[in-house]
Amino acid sequence: MSEFLLRLESLANMLPQRPETAIVLTLAAYFAGLRLFGWLRSPAWCPPILLAACLLAGLLALLPLDYTEYRRGVGWLTWLLGPATVALGVPLYQQLHHVRTLWKPIVLTLPPAAILAAGYAVSIAWLLDAPPTVLASLAPKSVTAPIAMGIVEELQGSVSLLMGALLITGVMATLSITLLARLGNIHDQRVIGFALGVNGHAIGTVRAFDIGPTAGAFASLGMSLTGVFTALWLPLMWHIMG
Amino acid sequence: MLSILRGFLILTAFLMLGDIIVELFALPLSSGVAGMLLLTLWLLLRRRLSHDLDAASQPLIGMLALLIMPGVVGIFFQADEFSGQWLTIFIALVLGTLLSSLTTLWLMQRLVSMSGERPHE
Repeated sequence: MSEFLLRLESLANMLPQRPETAIVLTLAAYFAGLRLFGWLRSPAWCPPILLAACLLAGLLALLPLDYTEYRRGVGWLTWLLGPATVALGVPLYQQLHHVRTLWKPIVLTLPPAAILAAGYAVSIAWLLDAPPTVLASLAPKSVTAPIAMGIVEELQGSVSLLMGALLITGVMATLSITLLARLGNIHDQRVIGFALGVNGHAIGTVRAFDIGPTAGAFASLGMSLTGVFTALWLPLMWHIMG
Repeated sequence: MLSILRGFLILTAFLMLGDIIVELFALPLSSGVAGMLLLTLWLLLRRRLSHDLDAASQPLIGMLALLIMPGVVGIFFQADEFSGQWLTIFIALVLGTLLSSLTTLWLMQRLVSMSGERPHE
C-alpha cells in the first residue's frame, strides 16, 4: 500500500511536466468555452476564446502547474500556429478577385487605414507616457492574431498584452463600426465589411458574416490585406524609428 | 486523410521556405508570414488551388482560436508586469479603435462613391 502511495506521489510530480497534460487542459477548456458561449446565447462582446481562456487560467491557478511549465508542455500544439499562418494564404488567394472589381478604393484605403489603425492607439499611449514594451504590444492590435504574434515578437512586445489588446480592439471595432455606419447612413456591405476586417480582424470578420456574405468576403479580404501590409511596414518602421 | 497530410506537407514546406528566406535576408518578418506570402504568390502564379492544400488549410484555420489560447492565458499570469498601465492601455485601445474605424469608413465610402460615379475611369 505504501508503495502505491509512493507511486502516486511520483505521478503527481511527473504529470505537470507532460505535454499531454497541457494539451488535455487546453482542449478541454476550449470545448467548455464553446459550450458556455452557446449557453450564454453567443454574446458579441465576449467571444468564446475569452471564455475558454478564463476557464484555462482558472484551471492553471487551481492545479499545481505553473504557467512556464504549461507553455513548455503545450508547445507541440502552439507549433501548429506556423503552418496555420501559412494556410491563411489560401483564403487570401481566393478573395483577391474582389480587389479586381473595386481595386481603386481598396488600394487607396488600405495603407492609410492600416497605418492609422496602429498609429492612433500607439500615439495616444505614447502621449500618456506608456513604456516601449506597451507601445510595441499595442502596435499590431488590428492584425489577425497569428500574424500579430509574429509582428509583436519582432518588435519585442508582450504576446499576452497583445492578446488582450486584440480582444478589446475586435469588440470595440465591431461596436463602433456598427454604430458609425448607422449614424453615417452607410449601407454598402462592401464598405462596412472592409472597415470591419481592417480594424476588427477576426472578431470584426465574424460580425461581417452576420451582416451578409458580401460584407464577410470584404471583411476577410480587409483582414488579410491589413495583416500582410502591417507585417511588412510595421517592423521596418519600428527599426527606423528606433 | 492522406489528402490532408499532403496539404500539410505543402504548408510546412512553405513554412520552412519562409524560415530560410527570413534568416538569409535578415527580414523583419515572422517565418509564418513569409511562408504565407510565398504561398499566395505561388497560388497566383499557378492560378489553381489544389484539393490537398484546401483540405489541410480549412481545419488549420478553423483551429486558430485554439492555437492562440495558450498565449491569451498568459495575460492572467503576467498582469503584474503592466500594473499602473491598464488605464492608459484601455484609453489608447478604445479611443484609437474608434478613430481608426471612423477614418476607414469615411475614406472607403468616399472612394467607393467616387468610383461609382465614374465607373469607366
